[in-house]
Amino acid sequence: MKNLSLTIGWLYPDLMSTYGDRGNIIVLTKRCEDRGIKVNLEKISLEADKNKIKELDLIFMGGAQDKQQEIVNKDLIENKGSLLKRAIEDEIPSLFICGAYQFLGKYYKTAEGHKIPGLNIFPIYTENPGENVKRLIGNIIIEIRNSKLEIRNFVVGFENHGGRTYLLNGAEPFAQIAYGFGNNDKDKTEGVIYKNAIGTYLHGPILPKNPQIADFLIEKALFKKYGKKIELEKLDDSIEKKAREVVVKKYLSGYNQTK
Amino acid sequence: MINALLILLGKSLIKFGNTLNIGSGSTWPGHIALKLNKNFIKQISSKNKNLKIVLIAGTNGKTTTSKLIKHILEKNSLKVFHNEAGANLLNGIASSFIKNSNLSGKLPYDVAIFEIDENTLPLILREINHYSILLLNLFRDQLDRYGEVNTIAKNWQQALKKVDKNTFLFLNGDDPQIYSLGQENDLKTYYFGISDKYMDQKEIPHDVDSVYCPNCSHKLNYSKMSYSHLGKFKCYNCGFKQEKVETFADQKINYPLFGKYNIYNTNAAILLTSKAFNIPTEKVIEFTEEFKPAFGRQEIVKYKGKNIIVLLSKNPTGFNQSIEATINYSKDEKPNALVVLNDRIPDGRDVSWIWDVDFNDLSLAKKIIISGDRTFDLAIRFKYALNDSFEQKTIIEEDLEKAINTAVSQTEENKTLFILPTYSAMLETRKILGGKKIL
Repeated sequence: MKNLSLTIGWLYPDLMSTYGDRGNIIVLTKRCEDRGIKVNLEKISLEADKNKIKELDLIFMGGAQDKQQEIVNKDLIENKGSLLKRAIEDEIPSLFICGAYQFLGKYYKTAEGHKIPGLNIFPIYTENPGENVKRLIGNIIIEIRNSKLEIRNFVVGFENHGGRTYLLNGAEPFAQIAYGFGNNDKDKTEGVIYKNAIGTYLHGPILPKNPQIADFLIEKALFKKYGKKIELEKLDDSIEKKAREVVVKKYLSGYNQTK
Repeated sequence: MINALLILLGKSLIKFGNTLNIGSGSTWPGHIALKLNKNFIKQISSKNKNLKIVLIAGTNGKTTTSKLIKHILEKNSLKVFHNEAGANLLNGIASSFIKNSNLSGKLPYDVAIFEIDENTLPLILREINHYSILLLNLFRDQLDRYGEVNTIAKNWQQALKKVDKNTFLFLNGDDPQIYSLGQENDLKTYYFGISDKYMDQKEIPHDVDSVYCPNCSHKLNYSKMSYSHLGKFKCYNCGFKQEKVETFADQKINYPLFGKYNIYNTNAAILLTSKAFNIPTEKVIEFTEEFKPAFGRQEIVKYKGKNIIVLLSKNPTGFNQSIEATINYSKDEKPNALVVLNDRIPDGRDVSWIWDVDFNDLSLAKKIIISGDRTFDLAIRFKYALNDSFEQKTIIEEDLEKAINTAVSQTEENKTLFILPTYSAMLETRKILGGKKIL
């Protein structure tokens, strides 16, 4: 099929982009273009018209520092949140990292004990146990086997969060922890998958070393837009494989490397 | 009395360490002293009331600026000591006291210059008689270790409120967050910046954190920018803006180091030494022009007939500045570049930040050699930054010694190779180039 194109929305690129998260956008764009899919990148920040969200085929939002998160939270609740919710309910594939993932839950309880309401899209809530409790920081290795996506190799990244996220009844975790903390350091789950939206704590950024997730989002976006499954041409991901192996070898000795 | 024993013990440890060549002993004598007497720093400091202590903090430029200030003060016949680069926590300061004092705890010097870690600054301000504080900048750096830029600025602000009113405070007037630290205290405050003519950044780059007003969170307006979030700013919402920034624009200065970031470092050193030590500006500038750089900070090393310049690059802003310096170094020579990414504790365990670096600007280099603990993370980054020229332009070599040899052999006689390493990679590089094996 010729003349394929996707509109990728990057929410608050100037505010929610502290942990190298633009790498995710770079990867999504290039992996489309390498297959002849034209990309139209929409950067949607504070001043943007909220109706642009209706035109998006794929949505991404990264993590940020506290001050920036406050500014964004206000804009989401007052302004763009309802359209974002509609898009996700309508199965637009999307990826939300760390702070963005937390925003989409029922609420976030701060270290001081204030409950900040979220967008109530993901069936999750997040609580920060207080400034004296350690942040969850370090390399993380997960196994992805959920109802939407299965990846045979380990997926690797880095996490750095104070909040602990808990899944409500009926919520499906994005992945299981092989090494690291994940949602809350208790139940071995990592992230959430809801319709075609992924919420996760993985920085790294997540997509460059784990391009299968990028391809999953692209495939879903094409399916949604063109109404049929479009096979994506295979790309050479040998460097990506080596980068994952370095992390797995360092932190999961004893596991089968070829897995 | 106990301090005399601690100093004696510490000095023997340093000597022992040097003899066996097991590290420079730059932190552990102090570590032990503080374990046995937690007031060690405070007591030694109050014993040396005439010693003028200069504290330097900020994300980038601490070592270079310390060395510049030391050079200027020594040229002016003052006796100066300086803590070793990297030994910038409390234990490093204590070690530096041990190394430079006599057994009674007296420091026979006029000035001590201490580089201080971002998170240690509030702690050290409570312990010692500070004479002058210099705050260089705050950029995104090792979020897993230092935490967020806003938190650091908030802690500094709180700490500065309790500082003795006679203290000199020197602030980067082009960094909105640093500039705002001068608003809420009545110390002897001065601001440094750089001349307009160096402000050639066209748009706000990706690696910025502080382009929002420190007072009201409204987006700042910039009439000119130098790099990252540094520039001439103003808030149209609450009126927050810069005043009285010294740029030395009317002086003819032959800056001894290249790169815009070093114009900031040099101007900071000139302003501090002339104001806090009362040395005439013309004299300071003369001294400055004779300065020689240090390893990892623009020193040119001759190695197998090639010129090697190592530029420590440990966070997005620092890296972007190193890349700019590499590419602009010579008009008629395309340099080779070896980029080394480690993920050890001094580098930060999280390597996500390489995606905030604009590596595509390095595409003008002839060959790019990639190495370090996270060679393949870096290789992926370059694959996306260089696109079609990735295969032809890059060489991937995990082993640093082999990577250096490859990079050197790819470089022609008398031509220049730039090495851009993270912190621990810089130390390794130095050992390899110096012929010493890592123990």
